Amino acid sequence: MSTPTGRDYLHRYEGNPIITLENIPFRCNTVFNCSPVKLGERYLLLLRVEGQQGYSFFALAQSPDGYHFTVEPKPVMLPAKQGPFAKYEVKGIEDPRITEYDGVYYILFTAVSRWGPRIEIAETRDFKDFERIAFISEPGNKDGVLFPEKIGGRFVRLDRPIGKGIGSIWISYSDDLIHWGGHRVLISPRQGMWDSYRVGASVPPIKTEKGWLEIYHGVKMTSTGPIYKIGSALLDLEDPARLVARCDEPLLAPRELYERIGDVHNVVFACGAIVEPDGEMKIYYGAADTCICVATAPFNEILERTLA
Amino acid sequence: MDHHGGGIKSDIIHRSEKNPVIDFADIPFNCINLYNAGCVKKDGIYILLLTIEHLDGSTDLYLARSADGYNFTVAGDPFIIPRKDDPLYEYKTAGVLDARITRLEGAYYIVYLGESRHGTLLNLARTTDFTSVEKLGIISQPDTKAGALFPARINGRYARLDRPNTGGSIWISYSRDLLSWGESEVVLSPRDGYWDSNHIGCAAPPIETPQGWLVFYYGVKMTSGGTLTRIGTVILDRENPAAPLVGRSNIPVLSPRELYERVGDISNIVFSCGAVLEEDSSIKLYYGTSNSCLYVGTTTLEEIIETCMQSTKDF
Repeated sequence: MSTPTGRDYLHRYEGNPIITLENIPFRCNTVFNCSPVKLGERYLLLLRVEGQQGYSFFALAQSPDGYHFTVEPKPVMLPAKQGPFAKYEVKGIEDPRITEYDGVYYILFTAVSRWGPRIEIAETRDFKDFERIAFISEPGNKDGVLFPEKIGGRFVRLDRPIGKGIGSIWISYSDDLIHWGGHRVLISPRQGMWDSYRVGASVPPIKTEKGWLEIYHGVKMTSTGPIYKIGSALLDLEDPARLVARCDEPLLAPRELYERIGDVHNVVFACGAIVEPDGEMKIYYGAADTCICVATAPFNEILERTLA
Repeated sequence: MDHHGGGIKSDIIHRSEKNPVIDFADIPFNCINLYNAGCVKKDGIYILLLTIEHLDGSTDLYLARSADGYNFTVAGDPFIIPRKDDPLYEYKTAGVLDARITRLEGAYYIVYLGESRHGTLLNLARTTDFTSVEKLGIISQPDTKAGALFPARINGRYARLDRPNTGGSIWISYSRDLLSWGESEVVLSPRDGYWDSNHIGCAAPPIETPQGWLVFYYGVKMTSGGTLTRIGTVILDRENPAAPLVGRSNIPVLSPRELYERVGDISNIVFSCGAVLEEDSSIKLYYGTSNSCLYVGTTTLEEIIETCMQSTKDF
C-alpha cells in the first residue's frame, strides 16, 4: 500500500483518512470536502457533510495538531428553510472555502436548487454564528474562491462557470463583494492531459513573492466516469488575470483505496490548505466523496514545481 | 376569439401583409442567414439591428432603417463586429449576435452575445446616434444568452434580464454602474406540460405598462424532431420583477405555422429580439423565422395584457 503513495508531490499522512463517518456524532451519509483555518494553535475544519436525506450541509471539527479532529455535536450551517436564501438552497449547500480579512472569515460555497448550482457568500467571526451575505453568481457556477486581499483596490474571486460544455476557471472583480464584473477566462482544460475535461478553483489563492499560487482540481473523463486530481498554477501578483505558470503534472492523484472507493470513485478534492510557519503546507482534501484526508509538502517545493 | 383554432389567424400576434420586411434581396451582399433583430423607434425612424450570418458561418450586427416600420434599407457595413484589436476579441471569435436595444436615460444600450470557444456571454454597448458605438465590455459569465436591459432603473439600480443556460429560466440581475452585476434572482421558469416546457428566454426588452413590465419571451418545447420555439408574454411586478408574476400567458401569442416559419436551417421557429410600442398602443413585434428573413407582427397592448391576465395563475 505504501509504494505508490510516495510518488505524488503531496505526501499523504499515514493516518489517513483523518475524518470519516465514524467521527461524526450525528447520523449522516458521508463527510468530505472541507476548508481549514488555523486560529492560533487551533485547527478548524469546516466540513461538508452529506446527510442521509441526500443533501449537504456544514459541520465543524477542531484539532490541536491538524491531524486529530473532534467534530462538534451539531451542524453549524444548514440549508435555509425560510427567507430569501431558502429557494436556492433546497438541494443543499456544498464545498465551503474560507478566506480571512482582518478577523472576518468569508465563506464561499455552492448553493444547489432546481435551477442549478450557484455561488453564495457568508461570513463568520467565531465559527458559531454564520451570516449569509448574498448570492454572487447566476446558476451553472461553482468552485468560488476569494483572494485573501484586495488587488488594485478590488475584491477578486475565481470560479467555474460552464461555457459550451467546457469547465474553465474564470476571474471576476468587485467593489462590494455583491456586484461582480470584469469576467475573464483564466485556466482552461488541456487536451490530452490529466485535466482535459474540466478544471475548477480549489484552494483560495496563496500569496507568494512570485505570484498567487492557485491549487486547483482537474478532471479527466473516462469510460467509467471522471478522475479528479489536484494541480497547481501561478497567477501574476498585480494582475491575477495573467497566468504565469502551470504545473504539467498533478500534485496528487487518487491511488489509495480510500480515494478510489466511495460514493464517487477516484476523487481527491481540496477546498483549503494551511501553510505553517516552518513552510510546511497541509492540504485537506475529500477522498471519493466519502472521507477527509490530509497531505503535506514543503510549500516552496510545490511553488518550484509549479514554476518548473 | 378562438385561441386554439389552428389557423394562422388564430394567433394574437397578427402577421403583416407586408411581410417579409427584410429578405435576402434587401441585403447588399451574399449571406447565409439573417435573423433576430433588436429594434427601437428613434425620432420617428424604425431602427433594426440585425444578426447576419455570413457564408463562412460567422455573425455580425447590421443596422436597417425604415420610415414606416415595414420598408427597410439595410446598411452595407456592419455596426458591431468582432475586431482583432479588441482586447476582448478572444470572447467573440465565433461572432456577435442577438442584439437587444433599450432606451435608457437618453442613450441606447445594446446587449448582445459574444460567441467563442469559451462559450456564449453577454456584452454591453452604448450609442446615442446609431452612427458610432461605445463597447462597455462583458457583463456576464458563460453560458448566458437573451440579455436585455430594463428601460428605467428599479429602486435606483439598473436591471437586466438574461437566461443562464443552466436551469433554462429567465433571471434578473442588478447593477449600480452597468458593469458589475449581482443580486441575481430567478424571474420565470419553464412550465411542465406547456408550450414553454423546455427552456425560455427574454425576447423583447421589458416594456413599461400600467400593470407592470411587459416582456415578450420565447418558450421552447422539445420534440422528437427537435426544438419548437414560440413567443409568449408575461407581466412582471414594477418594483420587484422577481416577485410573484402579475400575469403570464398560458398560450403562445405567436407560433410557427406558415411555411417560412417551419422550413429552413432551423425548423419551427419564431424568435424575436424587439418590439415597438406605438403611441396608439399598437405593438409591432419584429421576428426572425426558419427561412431566415425578418417579419413583423402586430397586436395591441390591450390584447396582450388581456392575454396575460386571463391566464390561470398556476405558474
